[in-house]
Amino acid sequence: MLRYMVRRILATIPVMVVVAIFVFSLLYFAPGDPAAIIAGDQATAEDIALIRESLGLDRPFLVRFGEWSWNILNGDLGTSIFTGLPITHLIAQRIEPTLSLTVLTLVFAILVAVPLGVLAAWKAGTWVDSAVMIFAVLGFSVPIFVVGYILAWLMALQLGWLPVQGYRSIGDGLWPWFRSLILPSISLGCVYIALIARITRSTVVEVLRQDYIRTARAKGLAQMPTLFIHGLRNAAVPIVTVIGIGFAMLISGTVVTESVFALPGLGRLTIDAILHRDYPVIQALVLIFSFAYVLVNLAVDLAYTLFDPRIRY
Amino acid sequence: MSLLEIEGLRVQFRTATGVSRAVDGLSLSVDAGQVLAIVGESGCGKSVTAMAILGLLPEGISRADGTIRFEGRDLLALTDREMQKIRGKAVSMVFQEPMTSLNPVLTVGRQIGETLRLHEGLGRRATEARALEMLRLVGIPEPERRLKQYPHELSGGMRQRVMIAMALACNPRLLIADEPTTALDVTVQAQILDLMRDLIGRTGTGMVLITHDFGVVAEMAQRVVVMYAGRKVEEAPVRDLFAAPRHPYTRALLDSMPRLTEGGEAPEELTEIPGVVPALTEPVRACTFEPRCPRASDQCRTLYPPFRECGDDHMVACWNPEPQPDAAVAEPRRQGEMKA
Repeated sequence: MLRYMVRRILATIPVMVVVAIFVFSLLYFAPGDPAAIIAGDQATAEDIALIRESLGLDRPFLVRFGEWSWNILNGDLGTSIFTGLPITHLIAQRIEPTLSLTVLTLVFAILVAVPLGVLAAWKAGTWVDSAVMIFAVLGFSVPIFVVGYILAWLMALQLGWLPVQGYRSIGDGLWPWFRSLILPSISLGCVYIALIARITRSTVVEVLRQDYIRTARAKGLAQMPTLFIHGLRNAAVPIVTVIGIGFAMLISGTVVTESVFALPGLGRLTIDAILHRDYPVIQALVLIFSFAYVLVNLAVDLAYTLFDPRIRY
Repeated sequence: MSLLEIEGLRVQFRTATGVSRAVDGLSLSVDAGQVLAIVGESGCGKSVTAMAILGLLPEGISRADGTIRFEGRDLLALTDREMQKIRGKAVSMVFQEPMTSLNPVLTVGRQIGETLRLHEGLGRRATEARALEMLRLVGIPEPERRLKQYPHELSGGMRQRVMIAMALACNPRLLIADEPTTALDVTVQAQILDLMRDLIGRTGTGMVLITHDFGVVAEMAQRVVVMYAGRKVEEAPVRDLFAAPRHPYTRALLDSMPRLTEGGEAPEELTEIPGVVPALTEPVRACTFEPRCPRASDQCRTLYPPFRECGDDHMVACWNPEPQPDAAVAEPRRQGEMKA
């Protein structure tokens, strides 16, 4: 197990190298000149060339990539072209809302989606099943910003129960923090809930046909323990897998959600960086998101062993 | 009062091609300490009967009528919650497939213990002790280690022993075994049969043994019910049935079983039963076995035969039963009466 973990963590290194090359080249070849943007509308060609030189943008690709990678390995993500601040500093400032939002959404989505999926599987073919599946299709197809604006309008503007937008730090108290994240989490969670609920339903339906479910019932076990102890545990592996894969959706969703609810997180930072052609910031953020994704999926792989004793590494 | 008394049990399934009568008017009874075998081809309603007794027929698409009286209580009239108290406690079951009937993600100890905690309200310690005792009882080597193992770490025979331990953990008064040895190696089969006979003999448990294997029947049962297409076609004490099967279907089943000849030479040729089991969705008017029956007559094609006595404690549903070897004279007369 320990050996497997070490091996898996080592295996993430080549993945991250590929991601780094990809991220770096993408922006290198993308149209739009950061020097021109920094210089502004009135700048002459010499001004732009000067800026480009001072930023080192005129040097060859490999030199720039090598330097960039070396700095990252030393914990230096670079400096923002636009603000002139170190990127590590920018990210440290913005990471709390994003982390809060993703973790809260993840927990909330799993707590809602899994029981919903189990319920649909148990009542497969009835109106309960249809209702859950219709909800899942809706949740999957309605964009986050639509859900977000509707929720904000209804819960905040009309009913006044929750703040319209903005973020309260967890340092300001748990309740204000939580309140500021309820609507964003629901908006962001809808797609995720839909995805997990669907997979849970189809997997549990399959599991409920198995002989050991009949055995459990023949032992005198009631419906609920049969579903949740004998059924769900056998369905856990596909469900956990989809939770890991869906994490990418969650990351891209935070970008939109943070804009809708004006949360000062990494998603907003990403958008600002793209609008300003702030290349080093974009590169650093994409790298961090990829790293988070790789880590989550490593955790998923390790979680398999908790649910299924037949899986041994 | 018998331990289990089934009267006029009908189980119907709604299927795409119409209503299927999986069990059609079955009656039987089992006494405490007695082993009753239900024999027949696949699809004749044996397993459905077992599931009906336990109240585990699939919801929504099936319906059971008639009465299933267990110790005087009609099980069909009980709610699911009431049935939960009976399942695994007073009536328990051993399934055919030990490979798939145990939950792969729970330890053996947990699965045996689950029944005990549920029905006996035992604590953690007591549960473990009793589970260990059960594993010892069913003859599993190194029971302490097995408790913490998962089903995939055990062999098929061992898993079936675990199933039996699970089924007998709460000292049931009725054990239903659905093809308990079919999936096992021949050598293991004998061990499992010995074990079950020994255990139920010790406790006076009644048993319904579902099988298509007459070898198992001979080994275990006192009485036999032969089922065909959802109906009981013959019932007799095991010895009588083997000595003088009266229904042509029973005869054919017995003939299709391989037997060793003297001196261990090549066995005599096996006979097979021509045709297949009829669709259960068709309404029954004529005898359902008639198309496959070597003794069929015109009468068989017009009316389903009544289930009637054809000898001492021997019942059959057939217009032209096989002659009784010693008392062949008695039968034609009775038949003549019926026709008249």
